[in-house]
Amino acid sequence: MTDQPEQHPITGLDDVVHQRVRLGILTVAHQARRVEFGFLRTALGLTAGNLSQHLSVLEKAGLVEIEKGYEGKRARTWLSLTPAGERALRDEVTQLKRLIHQIEHGSSAPEA
Amino acid sequence: MTDASAPSQGTPHEVLAGLGDLTRRVRVAQRGTWFPLLLLGVLTLGGILVDRFTFKVETVACPAGEAAAGSGCTLVTQGSAVYWPLGLALAYAATAFFYIRRSRNRGVGTRVRPYVLTGIVLVALASATAMWSLRHGMPQLGEPLDFWGLHLDPTSGVTRFLERLAGNAMAVGLPLLVLAWVERSRALLLLAVVYLAIELVPLSTGWAGIPFTSPWSALPTFGIPGVLLLLSALGFGLAELSGRRNAS
Repeated sequence: MTDQPEQHPITGLDDVVHQRVRLGILTVAHQARRVEFGFLRTALGLTAGNLSQHLSVLEKAGLVEIEKGYEGKRARTWLSLTPAGERALRDEVTQLKRLIHQIEHGSSAPEA
Repeated sequence: MTDASAPSQGTPHEVLAGLGDLTRRVRVAQRGTWFPLLLLGVLTLGGILVDRFTFKVETVACPAGEAAAGSGCTLVTQGSAVYWPLGLALAYAATAFFYIRRSRNRGVGTRVRPYVLTGIVLVALASATAMWSLRHGMPQLGEPLDFWGLHLDPTSGVTRFLERLAGNAMAVGLPLLVLAWVERSRALLLLAVVYLAIELVPLSTGWAGIPFTSPWSALPTFGIPGVLLLLSALGFGLAELSGRRNAS
């Protein structure tokens, strides 16, 4: 019986989550719990169209929930992380830390 | 328009640093520390006026065993059983309303729920204590204090420490600790520790030149923490304003 070679942390990165804007969206939503489209657009320095595209990708992947409504006459879109989104962000940060450890120490990384 | 504020697609170090920066910016937008500090400061200073207007000096027979037994002893009573429970309830309700409204205006959620839940528990405790004292009456001079199964000697150091702990240290200091955790604020944690130190250190009014028989004897006890809270509210308010200006 042979030992399985340890997987490089880079293989654990999820392309949907790892994209920098989507990673930023997940981070802001995690800290804020619930975040409005306008705040997200300003915080990430995006255009409305660009942000909408990234939100569609995250929503299709089941990582965020989008809630549309009105406050007075003003249309507002709120976004929150799903449990899968919370897990995906946690896994991404863990893989990044493992990757840093691997680069710095050149050996197996700690489980965060 | 570029998405320069999103985390950089550089090394893992840079990506993590970018995420940390984003998290800090969200926290700045979530903070509203000045408001609960202002309310608690006003409530504490209001305690001076409440004690002033409920102040009563009586001459009663000294308890047996005292050096002056048989002659007259001075009994000072002050304070209201309603002021703190009602004031705290209003302060927590106003704080919850303030944070929810700000959350809607700024478009970013808030984590104020643990602070408000702490407040509800404290108000319930303060109300229960007030009802207990109304039902059982104040203990007679020299008699042990029977409080929820505890037989406490009113003159002992432990009883006096418990009184201080169960007073403003619990009603204001504990919520400050919870708020420091909710807002992830080291500055607020430091303020909470300083506040608790002030509340738990035995303060007599003698050093301020105010005898305990004066209607203003509560001035140093409430004045120092009250002014500390108000000055802190001002400091946190200015810091939040400056943080928002820098972020925009």
